[in-house]
Amino acid sequence: MTRAARWVALAAVAVGLVTFPYWSAAWETSRFATTVLRDMLVFAIFALSLDILVGHAGMPSLGHAAFFGGGAYAAGIASQRLGTDQLPITLAAAVLVAALLALVIGLLVVRSEGIFLLMLTLALAQIVFAIAFQWTAVTGGSNGLAGVSRPTLFGIDLSAPDRMYVLVAATFLVVSLLIWSLMRSPYGRALTGVRENERRMRALGYDTTRLKLSAFVVAGMIAGVAGALSAYSQRFVSPGDAGIGTSVQAFVMVLIGGAGTILGPVLGAGVVMYIQRVLSSAIPVSETVLGLVFIGFVLLARQGIVGLGRAAYARVRAP
Amino acid sequence: MIEVRELRRSFGGVKALDGVTLTVGDGERRAVIGPNGAGKTTLFNVLTGELPPTGGDVRLAGAEITRLRPWQRARLGLARVYQRTELFAPLSARENVALAVAARAGPYRAFRAPPRSEYAAADALLERVGLAGRENAAARILSHGERRQLELAVALAQRPRVLLLDEPTAGMSPAETARITELISGLDRALTILIVEHDMDVVFRLADRVSVLHEGRVIADGTVSEIRGDVRVHDVYLGKAVSVA
Ligand SMILES: Nc1ncnc2c1ncn2[C@@H]1O[C@H](COP(=O)(O)OP(=O)(O)OP(=O)(O)O)[C@@H](O)[C@H]1O
Ligand SMILES: [Mg+2]
Repeated sequence: MTRAARWVALAAVAVGLVTFPYWSAAWETSRFATTVLRDMLVFAIFALSLDILVGHAGMPSLGHAAFFGGGAYAAGIASQRLGTDQLPITLAAAVLVAALLALVIGLLVVRSEGIFLLMLTLALAQIVFAIAFQWTAVTGGSNGLAGVSRPTLFGIDLSAPDRMYVLVAATFLVVSLLIWSLMRSPYGRALTGVRENERRMRALGYDTTRLKLSAFVVAGMIAGVAGALSAYSQRFVSPGDAGIGTSVQAFVMVLIGGAGTILGPVLGAGVVMYIQRVLSSAIPVSETVLGLVFIGFVLLARQGIVGLGRAAYARVRAP
Repeated sequence: MIEVRELRRSFGGVKALDGVTLTVGDGERRAVIGPNGAGKTTLFNVLTGELPPTGGDVRLAGAEITRLRPWQRARLGLARVYQRTELFAPLSARENVALAVAARAGPYRAFRAPPRSEYAAADALLERVGLAGRENAAARILSHGERRQLELAVALAQRPRVLLLDEPTAGMSPAETARITELISGLDRALTILIVEHDMDVVFRLADRVSVLHEGRVIADGTVSEIRGDVRVHDVYLGKAVSVA
C-alpha cells in the first residue's frame, strides 16, 4: 500500500469508528455494542497512555490508575462543585489534577527501575486510592461519586448515548494521533534511547531523569483524560477507578496487545473488555479465561497480538 | 584541558584510584596505560561523573566539574568510547548515531519527525568510521569490530572537546585496528584525547605523552620515548605485555 492509500484507509476506519452508533442503528444490539465500544475506547486511551511508560520509555508502572482515578474524580468533583457541565472546564480540571499527581509520583519514582519501580508506583497509587476511599466529604468515600453530569461542548449537549460515544471515539482518535506523532518525533526517539540504554543517553548529554519525569507527566495527563471520559460515561466515579485492579487491567491490556506500539494497547483493551463485558454474560468463567489468555501471552508471545501479527506477516512475505 | 588532582576512589577495601594527579593539555593526546585492574576504566568513570570520587577533584577547561552529573559534563564537551560497548541494541546504526547528533538540540521537540539533517550527519560519520552500507543494520547484529566502530561514531557525533577512548581497538582484527588507529590519528588536532590501550603499537602511534597507572597511582609520566626507556614501566607493564604476547 502506498502512503496515501494507507492514510485513506485509516481515515475510512476513523470515520467508521466515530459514526458507529448511526450506521449500526438498525442492529438489535446497537445500543449495547455502542456502550461496550465506548468503554473499550476509554480503556484504549488509558492503555495507550500507560504504554508511553511501559513500552516506549521502559518504565513499567503498576500505579497508573492513580492518574485515571485522579482525572475521574477531578472531572466529577469539578462539575458538581462548580455546578458546570462545560467540557473544557471539567476536562481541564481532570488533566490538571492528573498532571500534578504524575509530577509528584514521578519525582518520587523516576530514579528507580524494574521491580522497585513497579512496587513504588503501586504503593504510591495505593495512597491515592486510600484518599479517594476515605476523604468522604469530597469523594463520597466508599460510595463513590454518583450523579456526575455528562458534558456539553460549545452549547451542544453530549448526554445522549450516541453523542457521548462520539465524544469518546473522537478523543480516542486525537489521542492516538497525538501519541503516534509524539513517539516518532525526536522526543519519542529519546525515550526509546532511555529504554534501551539510559547510561549511554546520559553520556550523550541527555538529562534522563527529567526526560523520564516528563514522560510520566504526559502519560499521567492522558490517563486523566481517560478518567474524565470514564466519569462522564458512567456518570459515576468509584474509588476502584484509582485502585490496583484498574492499574493491573491497563497493564494486562498493554502486554496482551503488544507494548511499544500504537495498535497494541488498543487491541489489548478490545480483547480484555470483550472478555469482561461480552463473554462474561455468555460463560461464567470469563475471568479465568482472561487469566489464561494473559498467561498464554506472557509465556508464549511476549510481543503481544501485534508481535504475533508481525511474525505471521513476515512468514507470508518470506518465500 | 583536563586537570585531575589527588583523585581517589575505593570499592570496599580496593583502592582503584589512590591519589591520581594528572594534567592533560589543550589538544594533547595522552595515553593511559597499565596492567589489568590498574584503575584506568575507573579513572574514566570518575572523569565522566558516572562514579563519584571518594576524594580529589576534576577540572575541565579550568572549571571545576567534580560535582556535575554525567549529562552536564557531556554538554561541556566530554565524550566517551566505553571499554564494553554501550549502544542502543535494537536501533539501527544510523539511529544510534542520530541520537548522539541530536543531543545538542535536546529531546524536547515533539510532533515532528526528526530532521533529515540529523540522519545525514549520522550517515557521514558512519562512513568515516568504515560503516558505510551498514546504516540500517541494528546495533545488536553488528560484529564485535563493527560495534567498536559504531561506538566511535557515536562519540564523535557529540562533537566533543575531550574524547575518552577506553580500549577502542580491543578485540578488533589487525586490519580494523589499523583503520581505527588511522582514523583517530587523523582527528582534529584541537581535540584533546585520552586513550586507554593495551596495544603498544597503537599507543606509540597515537600518543604525544603517556601516563602509566599501577594500583591506582601514576607511576610514570612522560613522552613516548621517555616511557619506552623507563625501567619501572618495563617491570610492571611492558615486560608483562611482551610476555603475554
Ligand atoms: N564497580 C566496581 N565495583 C567494585 N570494584 C570495582 C568496580 N569497578 C572497578 N573495580 C575494581 O577496581 C579496580 C580497578 O578496575 P578498573 O576497571 O578501573 O581497571 P582497568 O585498569 O580498567 O583494567 P582493565 O585493563 O582490565 O580494563 C579493580 O580491582 C576492579 O576490580
Ligand atoms: Mg578497563
